[in-house]
Amino acid sequence: MGQTIKVDTLIKTFQVPEREAGLKAAVGSLFKRKYREVEAVKKISFGIEAGEIVGFLGPNGAGKTTTLKMLAGLLFPTSGQIDVLGYEPQRREKELLRQITIVMGQRNQLMWDIPALDSFELQRAIYQIPEGEFRRMRDELIDLLNMGDLVKKPVRNLSLGERMKAEFISALLHRPKVLFLDEPTIGLDVTAQRLIREFVAAYNQRYQASVMLTSHYMADVQALCKRVIVIHHGQLLYDGGLAGLVEKFAAYKTIGVTLNDPELDLSEYGEIISNSKGQVNLRVPKSATAQITTRLLNEVAISDLTIEDPAIDSIIEQVFQQEAQVV
Amino acid sequence: MVYLRLFWIFLRVSVISEFQYRVNFFVQLFQSALALGTGLVAMSLVFSYTQNLAGWTQPELLAVMGVHIIVGGLIKTIIQPNMNRLIEDIQEGTLDFALTKPADAQAIISVREFRIWQLIDLVLGSVVLGYAISQLSTSLGWLSALSFAAAVLLGGLMIYSVWLMLSVGAFWIIRADNFLEIFDSLYQAGRWPVSIYPGWLKHTLTFVLPIAFAVTLPAETLARQLNGQNLLFALGLTVFLLIVSRLFWRFGLRHYTGASA
Repeated sequence: MGQTIKVDTLIKTFQVPEREAGLKAAVGSLFKRKYREVEAVKKISFGIEAGEIVGFLGPNGAGKTTTLKMLAGLLFPTSGQIDVLGYEPQRREKELLRQITIVMGQRNQLMWDIPALDSFELQRAIYQIPEGEFRRMRDELIDLLNMGDLVKKPVRNLSLGERMKAEFISALLHRPKVLFLDEPTIGLDVTAQRLIREFVAAYNQRYQASVMLTSHYMADVQALCKRVIVIHHGQLLYDGGLAGLVEKFAAYKTIGVTLNDPELDLSEYGEIISNSKGQVNLRVPKSATAQITTRLLNEVAISDLTIEDPAIDSIIEQVFQQEAQVV
Repeated sequence: MVYLRLFWIFLRVSVISEFQYRVNFFVQLFQSALALGTGLVAMSLVFSYTQNLAGWTQPELLAVMGVHIIVGGLIKTIIQPNMNRLIEDIQEGTLDFALTKPADAQAIISVREFRIWQLIDLVLGSVVLGYAISQLSTSLGWLSALSFAAAVLLGGLMIYSVWLMLSVGAFWIIRADNFLEIFDSLYQAGRWPVSIYPGWLKHTLTFVLPIAFAVTLPAETLARQLNGQNLLFALGLTVFLLIVSRLFWRFGLRHYTGASA
């Protein structure tokens, strides 16, 4: 099977009312509104294969949600083409909607006062899932997520993690081929996060579904996504393997040194990130790593030396701090 | 038929959920009894001075009041909770869930909520209406009972359409809940036959917010002579409002998704 999602030079501009601060401006805007055009997504293109999990990264306001919403048919593109499973999502055809799902960590769709099991029935009616297939899928998902009898408790009595698991079951009952997951693990504890991660991986394996995942937790991305797409200020900064992202954007490396003489000052070699009892971590420009290492080995009495790439979180942070530049 | 099934399942789920708040039943009972009591006192005050109000006798007015309570109960059971939920969903962005379902979004947003305890008003209103009818000199046949049911149904659909259009306003003005309250206070005016009001208010209650059709007309079909012409007119207006509100809903949706630009 080929690509399930194709996006070609996608652009989305919003008209936002422009208003200055203050009472006078507020009253004035009642009668005459000025509009400003904001380009939320600027000429983005990418494709996603069947069975692929892709991490969609970018700081708040980068255009992630806008893009996801266009892919799910909730927003009309200003220009450019989107193809999801052979359909144009903005037409919101039932045949497409039956094959996709959207899970948002910050918004719930299960009914609060009743057991999740009853809400599942609603999904069955809406998606017109045949009884037998529905039961099989429901029980399989309950099993995969270890929910057991929790689905019989009113949703309001569930913990945040349990509620999210129930949301996942409800969103996948119709066995979608394309999953849009917007911050699905937000606010969950580490155990629940890991469970959700394992579940998404298992579902993806079993049904060869395409998954687009946005998350602020790099652990999610590292565990699930071989490939990431990074956008910033509405532009595509990077599309490729996670390892390649480190290679491309890590401007620094960390040299860890264990000194024989703990009192020695190493600040002439690089920026000292930490120093405890002769265990020093230095931040050095990537291009100068070899040279500085050689100097350290020649000039300082050292019992141990390590060179590490910075944590992926800090690379991402670095990328987002710099201004957008087209790659 | 899919939508009928959907309607049924939503109803079932709402009943399960409402039964968790049984106290609400008693609160509602108290509230409805209080409203009925004040209504009756007001009416007896009027009739201690006069024997008829703009051509309406006491039992006839009582019938209007009964219908007003019944229709009000229906509004609060189905229309109001669904429209409030719609506005809430627009404000919080959860409407996206309804829009990504492979079913007609308008159908989904219209039948998601039921406040079954509000049905108390349906019972109370029926009692008042039944008593009023027993005081009337006219006898009722199947035909008038049927046309009464039809008139109530048409009235309900008209109010739904108007309310939907007001709620769809939330796509532009996020705080749309405020002007829904205007509707609520105007509905209170429907307790009396619309014909007793001055012209401008009468027209507003007839055509802008079709309370005349939802309350006065059904009462008229029972308490007075059945007027086929009025019923036909109501049918026409209902179809018209359903179409207009459907178009307006889709217009609002296009604005929401940015398709109109």
